[in-house]
Amino acid sequence: MHHGPVDPLFNLAIPGTNYHLPIYNFVITSWVIMFILAFTAWLATKNMKRLPQGIQNVWEYIVEGLFGFFGGMMGEDRARKYGPFLATCFLYILLSNYSGLIPGAAMIKGFVPPTSNVSITGALAILVFLSIFYFGIRAKGFGFFKHFFQPMAFLFILNLIEELVRPVSLSLRLYGNVYGEETIIGELGKMVPLLVPLPMMVLGVLLGAIQAFVFTLLASTYIAGATEEHH
Amino acid sequence: MGDILKSLGFEFPKFLWQIVNFLFLLFILKKIAYKPILTMLDERKKSIEDAISNAESAKNDAEKMRKEYESRLAEAKQEAQEIIAKATKLGEEVKKDIVTNAQAEATKAIQRAQEEIGREKDQAIAALRDEVATLAIMAAGKVLGKTISVEDHKKLVDEFVTEVGDLKC
Repeated sequence: MHHGPVDPLFNLAIPGTNYHLPIYNFVITSWVIMFILAFTAWLATKNMKRLPQGIQNVWEYIVEGLFGFFGGMMGEDRARKYGPFLATCFLYILLSNYSGLIPGAAMIKGFVPPTSNVSITGALAILVFLSIFYFGIRAKGFGFFKHFFQPMAFLFILNLIEELVRPVSLSLRLYGNVYGEETIIGELGKMVPLLVPLPMMVLGVLLGAIQAFVFTLLASTYIAGATEEHH
Repeated sequence: MGDILKSLGFEFPKFLWQIVNFLFLLFILKKIAYKPILTMLDERKKSIEDAISNAESAKNDAEKMRKEYESRLAEAKQEAQEIIAKATKLGEEVKKDIVTNAQAEATKAIQRAQEEIGREKDQAIAALRDEVATLAIMAAGKVLGKTISVEDHKKLVDEFVTEVGDLKC
């Protein structure tokens, strides 16, 4: 079903054990994305100036924009606490989605867009799922679990299912969109390499941002709901 | 559930890899991106707020100073007005004094002159009397053909003058 480079790319022997650490293709891509984010952030903040210039301006714009958006949803204080997690989700997913637009994605060794794999979107969704509990308990203690029994105790099962469905829908939505888009661009490219995949790629630019945004928006509403002060 | 996941291509090692990578990225970005940038944004916000409030207070100070200067200027103007008024009044008084003095002086001078004239007149009248008497005696002597002694003569004239003098000349 999944064509492209063979996974894992290679197995890294861990010294002193018999275990081999599988290095998958997407892990390399993931590292490149992480490196791009970390390196530009390092460039932007290693020598910050009061009057921002160049890359500092770009990163300030990103951080101010994202944290401002979260602040509008859950208030400035909570945005400061949960913003780093949510902003990292957005930036990682956005770059991961966009990596699928680069020709050769999912065909070259070590270049597989991470978000086109359900294991990866699943991991991100599970992180959101766990962060809901982590942030919720940290903000409200065991009072966090109260909302499972509201408005009535017997709705506990329904509330639990709702909570459990969230990561499933989050991960499948992201995976399905990115994988589908990447497949279409790939197949179109194979059939007519010139011009024809272009409209699909333009759409991909839009969809990549929308999917990253939707994932982050849902995650922030979940976290905002879990950490809300009243009731 | 497991079969569904498998058919979608779910693999647990990949899942674990992603969690580790993501948490690492979160840690790194928190350290080198979010924290310093948010701190910088806060600092900048604070410095802008400070600058605005400083400008505000400087403006207020300037306004206060302007008002003070204006009131001082008004005071000074009033003072100047008062000084001028005082000086004018003083000048007026001095002028009045001088005029009064001059008038008194003039009156005195006129009086003195009148007195002098009176005296001169009296003297002239006396001298005239003497002269007239002498002339009269000479004339009378000529008519009578003889001269009378000077003493008689004087006596005669005096009598005459006294008579005539009472008649007012």
